[in-house]
Amino acid sequence: MSLTRFLPLPSDRMGILWSLLNIEGSVIVEYGPAGTTHYSMGLFGELGIEQENRLFTTHLREEDVVMGDTSRLEKALVEVDENFHPAVIFVVASSCSAVIGTDLRGVCTMAQPKVKARLVTFEQGGFRGDYAAGIKETYRLLADQMVRPDTEKRKDTFNIIGASVGAYRCKADALEIQRLMDEAFGMKLHAALCLETDLERIARMGGAELNLVLRQEALPAAKLLESKCGTPYVYGAPYGYQGTLDWLEAVGKRIGRQVDPRLAGKLKKRAMEVGQYRMYGRMLRRDRPQAFLYGEYEAVKGLGAFLSGMGIAPAKQISAHSLAPLEHAEEAIQYLPTEKERIGLLRSLRHTLVLADDTSRRLLEGDNTFIRIATPLIDTAQVAAHMPLMGDRGADMILETVEAYFNTLR
Amino acid sequence: MTIHSEDWGGLAGRCVSVTIDQHDITFGCAKKVEEAFAELMEEARPEAVFIVTTCVPEIIGDDFDAVADAMSERYGVPAMAVHTEHFKCENHMPGVERAITACFGLMERQEKDGSVNVIGQRMGRFEDTELSRVLKNAGVPIGAQLPSGCTVGEIRRAPAATVNIVVNDIGLPLAKKMKRSFGTPYVLFDKFTDPAHIAVAYENLFGFLKRPLPPELSALRREAEEAARQAKDALRGVTFMYGNTPFRCLECCAYMTSLGMVPQLIQSHGIEEEDREDVRRILACADPYMTLAANISPLQYIYDELRPMLYLGHEYPMRLRKKGIAQVHTDMGGGMLGYEVTGYLMKQLLASVEEAREIREGGMPR
Repeated sequence: MSLTRFLPLPSDRMGILWSLLNIEGSVIVEYGPAGTTHYSMGLFGELGIEQENRLFTTHLREEDVVMGDTSRLEKALVEVDENFHPAVIFVVASSCSAVIGTDLRGVCTMAQPKVKARLVTFEQGGFRGDYAAGIKETYRLLADQMVRPDTEKRKDTFNIIGASVGAYRCKADALEIQRLMDEAFGMKLHAALCLETDLERIARMGGAELNLVLRQEALPAAKLLESKCGTPYVYGAPYGYQGTLDWLEAVGKRIGRQVDPRLAGKLKKRAMEVGQYRMYGRMLRRDRPQAFLYGEYEAVKGLGAFLSGMGIAPAKQISAHSLAPLEHAEEAIQYLPTEKERIGLLRSLRHTLVLADDTSRRLLEGDNTFIRIATPLIDTAQVAAHMPLMGDRGADMILETVEAYFNTLR
Repeated sequence: MTIHSEDWGGLAGRCVSVTIDQHDITFGCAKKVEEAFAELMEEARPEAVFIVTTCVPEIIGDDFDAVADAMSERYGVPAMAVHTEHFKCENHMPGVERAITACFGLMERQEKDGSVNVIGQRMGRFEDTELSRVLKNAGVPIGAQLPSGCTVGEIRRAPAATVNIVVNDIGLPLAKKMKRSFGTPYVLFDKFTDPAHIAVAYENLFGFLKRPLPPELSALRREAEEAARQAKDALRGVTFMYGNTPFRCLECCAYMTSLGMVPQLIQSHGIEEEDREDVRRILACADPYMTLAANISPLQYIYDELRPMLYLGHEYPMRLRKKGIAQVHTDMGGGMLGYEVTGYLMKQLLASVEEAREIREGGMPR
């Protein structure tokens, strides 16, 4: 069970890189062979991440590998510092430098007096888990090292922690959360880790009234900020109409405010309306509505609950990434470490609503109905920033396909 | 690339992988590769398998030549290890070179049949090139095309060719091996830009084929030389930086220099023995800086110092434009061979010179 036929799961290193690339004012220097960085850039481009003058590599030669010579890295840090003047240089290990055991922290400590930029190291290199472990470590490290503890509080502002550009519709989801928070409580976004932000906003994250934690990988960072800056947090993501209302009420409870009654009323009404799909399901003679979900843990969990509420039972809920970095995972949601098992499951599906990625879609029989909820993107590009999976707008979009799905059932 | 291009097999295509973890680094990943091999044989039963290494297995020292031998024996299918430890080279080309060269293990001695193999065609389809048309018109059959465009069976039969046409240096090691083992001569027929070089390549090729030069070549050469003659006035004195293009770097720079253009900085993957004459031709007229190719970001501050009119190859066009530099797009040249390369280059250069002048005169937005 060792063969990977399609795309391998991105490693912790990739999660680190795509998170850090979203921080303006910083530059990444990867200590490794040029090709390692080069090929990751293709994926970052597809994820819509700006990379110009943001991601550099030192390249690595045989003598560096054999002799452990790190002067190439030291010179690269000075060159990047002099030519691009970043406030922070994130120094990231590649799989090569991690395997040979380069002491990146030590090198950066020695190099720090030679550069104006602050040097921050990530030594994972791709062997400490998949991208979920990488983003978890990135959020934690940024909260620990980059956020000032003494920032003055700014009322009616919140941070998002756990926006990961590797997630399908991440940008649209962040915008949907901003809209919901504004409508529900009149609150504005301060910073999002790690989406289209900058060093100054991260430094002043402690001034926000609340941290919204969209995924469990962000919990250590949120807890750290709670103790460091006294910022309370709410964990969860708004999927479906009832799920969005529940999430807003949890946020309101945490900050001692009521959800705007017009918004709450609208969500309640929509939640009741979709309840009628249960009845449609019972009227079917041949088929029983069922869903198969494959994607990021939080999306699988949230969308699974939304579909259950409509009488579409999740037959399988599979997390695309390891559950190891999570504090608590629902039993119903599995991670399948080998590709073969997932392929077998997907090929066996009939008359099922499948929420998954493009790779999965290629494996389905024609009588299934597909909704894309996860990367990688093979058959399309991600352009629209107004089509979220989260919130009532996300629920509206999913509902359109649910309607189409019911039309295929008898 | 293999995922998005159906030409390369698409998503469910011929490129599969083995993901290694901390445990494999400590205890070796050969066992995992053997398991993956077993799965592959059970599902796909390919005619040949290339086991391509990456940096990490090479560092930890797994013996993939031995793994490949063992798999060949166990499953009765040729398995070849292709070593691609990137920390021993500067770019991806040695990887392509080694993959091509590994095909030698599949080849079987054959009777010569008057055909030609094409070795080193990486971009575009050989069928679309001038060289292909000329060969077809002359009735010369095409054999194996490496690295793309052939089957395992065609590779096996490749020694039947009368001549190997090497269209890029990456094909040279295989061509030399085939010459030693099967007596197949080879001709270096790169994407030359100078009509004189293209003429020599055609002469050598048809000489080995023991066929007269096709008459159409005279007209094609005249056309290329006429394109250069017409472009010469507009190109004289035009300064340029040379980046990553499909052409043979120093040959192209030497030819452009011979037309009166001024090289200021040349980015190259290296200088081969075959390039010495071109280096001499360049140095007879100019004294450009030279640096490693495909490393554009650290060069940006040099643009302001040198202020070239043109930049050939890949760069961010808007960044260049802001600095008053026009980009010369050359990618289409990747699918050309023969006199057509000269005509294409002249056309691209003229368009970009005009653009550079407009940018500098404020006629185009920077």
